[in-house]
Amino acid sequence: MQRTNDGSAMIFDVQHNSFVDGPGIRTTVFFKGCNLRCQWCHNPESQAMEPQLLFDAEKCTGCGKCREVCPQHLKSCTLCGQCALYCPGDARSLCGEKISVQALLEQIEQDRAYYEASGGGVTFSGGECLLQPGALGALLRGCRERGISTAVDTAGAVSWETLEAILPDTDLFLYDIKCISNGRHRQFTGAGNAVILQNYQRLLSAGKAVWVRVPLVEGFNTDEEELAALCAFLRAHPPQRVEALPYHRLGERKYRALGADMAQHTFPVMEQERAEELKKRFREST
Amino acid sequence: MKDGLAGIFARLAASRQAHERDAERLEFVDALETVAQAIVSWAEKCAGEARQLAGSAGEGESKARLEKLAAALERVPLHPAGSFYEAVLSIYVTYSFVPDSLGTLDRYLLPFYEKDMAEGKLTRDEATAYLQELFLMLQGRMKPDDVRFHRGGESHFCVGGYTADGEDGFTDLSRLIVEAMLELPTWVPQLSLRWTAKTPREVLRYMMDRERHDANKRIAFVNDEPRIRALMQIVGLPFEQAVRYTMLGCNELALPGGIMMGSAMENILLCVERTVYGRAAELPACRTYDEFYAVFRQELHRLMEEIVQYEDAFNLARARDVNLVSSLFLEGCIENAQSVTRGGCTRAIAQPIFIGISNVIDSLSVIRQFVYEEKQCTMAELLEALRCNWEGHEDLRTLISKKARFFGNHDALSDGIARQLTSDIYAELKDHKSVFGYSFLVGNLIGYNQHNKWFGSGTRATPDGRHDADMIQFGIGQSEGKDRSGLTPLLASIATCDPNGILCGSSVTNVMLDQKLIRDDELFEKTVLMMETYFRQGGIHFQLNYVSPEELKETRLCPQKYKSLRVRVSGFSDYFVALDGDLQDEIVTRTEHAQ
Ligand code: SF4
Ligand code: SF4
Repeated sequence: MQRTNDGSAMIFDVQHNSFVDGPGIRTTVFFKGCNLRCQWCHNPESQAMEPQLLFDAEKCTGCGKCREVCPQHLKSCTLCGQCALYCPGDARSLCGEKISVQALLEQIEQDRAYYEASGGGVTFSGGECLLQPGALGALLRGCRERGISTAVDTAGAVSWETLEAILPDTDLFLYDIKCISNGRHRQFTGAGNAVILQNYQRLLSAGKAVWVRVPLVEGFNTDEEELAALCAFLRAHPPQRVEALPYHRLGERKYRALGADMAQHTFPVMEQERAEELKKRFREST
Repeated sequence: MKDGLAGIFARLAASRQAHERDAERLEFVDALETVAQAIVSWAEKCAGEARQLAGSAGEGESKARLEKLAAALERVPLHPAGSFYEAVLSIYVTYSFVPDSLGTLDRYLLPFYEKDMAEGKLTRDEATAYLQELFLMLQGRMKPDDVRFHRGGESHFCVGGYTADGEDGFTDLSRLIVEAMLELPTWVPQLSLRWTAKTPREVLRYMMDRERHDANKRIAFVNDEPRIRALMQIVGLPFEQAVRYTMLGCNELALPGGIMMGSAMENILLCVERTVYGRAAELPACRTYDEFYAVFRQELHRLMEEIVQYEDAFNLARARDVNLVSSLFLEGCIENAQSVTRGGCTRAIAQPIFIGISNVIDSLSVIRQFVYEEKQCTMAELLEALRCNWEGHEDLRTLISKKARFFGNHDALSDGIARQLTSDIYAELKDHKSVFGYSFLVGNLIGYNQHNKWFGSGTRATPDGRHDADMIQFGIGQSEGKDRSGLTPLLASIATCDPNGILCGSSVTNVMLDQKLIRDDELFEKTVLMMETYFRQGGIHFQLNYVSPEELKETRLCPQKYKSLRVRVSGFSDYFVALDGDLQDEIVTRTEHAQ
């Protein structure tokens, strides 16, 4: 695991005026790198810790510019980014950039008026932002000092000590709970969920505000048995709020751009009606 | 409405005395009187017709209604209106003579409304019905085969805004007016909410909520704060008069009883073109951005001088004509015994409209960043690339499109340039007066005549990456993906670039929003707070489009299916399928980018 303590974080996106990552109007900072491999992940470019070169074949015009500018002649890429810079069709792009904590804080600060008007703030998301605890801690402290409300969006598959360290500077956790069955969790995400469920309960015991997010993925967690188990668990350990997020296919193009095998990452898209029904069921589960 | 035409006759008589030695002016006063007489005769004729119809109608509701109409027409518009009904009727009758805008309807109807309601003479339903008659007349003025029939870019009026005592003027009547208009399946008129720092959030939410559910897209939003400041600072109006402003047409600023003179569309990108082509020989010698800017500044100065001359020529051409009808109702024309077209009106603004302001800011930003700060290319290389219309210099153009610190990203470099540019435009124009002595208030709106396309077609490649003849940008808002960081940075850039209210003329900011926001109330609430914050930060205007790019692309493939999809364009809204192909393209790009 890469630990960034040098005052900068590996980031793959910063999104202003996000309406969906917690209360109010927010700026969401996406950390690169994740320790889970959820098959349905719609941000596959967030998984690897290192920068990556994305190639979207649909946008490529075959102009050959990349070959011309690449110091490696397009073999054994060093991630220098030259080809992405000169690709006229936007087919190539470099994903992931080290950004200093200071620069990120400045960007976050820009939208202060919007946070204040709407009860919003900043959300650190990913990837898994807790895999870069040094930078994350510094960012959270910086926001605290500036009076900006903070949320951390996590899958919770980290040690309790890591979470504990950021408790004082985190106002809200957006916490992913994907399924209750340990075996199934392991099969679809590459890791069991014991730590995740345990950390979740500890956050609640610590009195933290938590919003749980449940991805709804057909073929993974939408059978009656799993749904019932999820709802029962949430009823027993009620968070402040539950949001169910139906799977969508927006990630597909990115998988292709990463050269990944699509078959593994394609799930059926749920009927609108069924999605609404399940969302309601989760909203009412606590 | 307050004085009746009788009051106007009295003023005409006084003016005749004052100008008794000036044959030409007397002739003008006589002509005005003839027009006023004609209006009175027309009202009398209508009254007679109503009496006759009432006579032949059987007993009942319709007879009573006709008698009421006849009685009222015998009073107004000759005499001051005595009730809400008569007030609406006098607008109805005289509107044909001043076909511009209902102005600040909720303001001047308010005393009548409050009085009649308090005395139990009027119900809300009746008030609604009278207003709807008025609105239907406005729609009916357009021929169904006129492009403007469903465009809505006409007969724009306002609700809300500051009152003379500095309070927010959105009242129960304002709400009634909005409801009355929206209940009709019409396109004309349309209205803007004048927002003030004192507007309750509930009012903004109400208006945005009505807007999101209005399939005919008839509501837009303007901010009183910068505009009233500009009217006071630039035009020199006292507060009590500045608060009377209204929006009309697409999105033009106007003063009731006053007129907007000129309104020439100007391609401001010309000053960049003249700098990089006309002054090309001098530029490589500029060692700093400031030295370069000094050259540009001369071209800006030259262009502004030309614009002033052009405005004057335009107005003088119009002055050959005499306007008899509007002059009757515009402040000062009677007293000066002079046509509005000849400067008779005492209350006026010259409102040139600059198209391409964002292209200018972006071009300057590219030069500052690439040539002077990062030294990615030399001035000579950049000029050569432009001369070749980027041919053979595609790499540089790609680099610019990816790395330039374009306007709209809340970036210190381009925001700073925007501030400097708008301040300089202000400095150039603030001491100028138009040929009739009116002040200049600049806007950035493009009308529906596609000046951005025409102007673009005559403008050579520019440093912001434009090719020869490419369209230039209209308004100041989302465009072509140059605003890469999302909506709040864009709004912040717009709000901070404007220290002297230089864009307080006709100004447009298009905001594209995800369709989800229409259905999801929690997300919608955030939209309300976002737009409120934008106004608090100084933004001057916004209008919303809720669309998905998929939907718009579909539209192009099977227009039949999407006949009813409406979008806001510059100040007006229209059916997407009815728009010109280039405009459709631009809207699709804007939307894709907004996702
Ligand atoms: S530069 Fe871009 S568009 Fe050209 S061949 Fe390479 S990837 Fe394709
Ligand atoms: S990132 Fe650099 S090394 Fe890698 S393919 Fe592109 S140009 Fe070559």
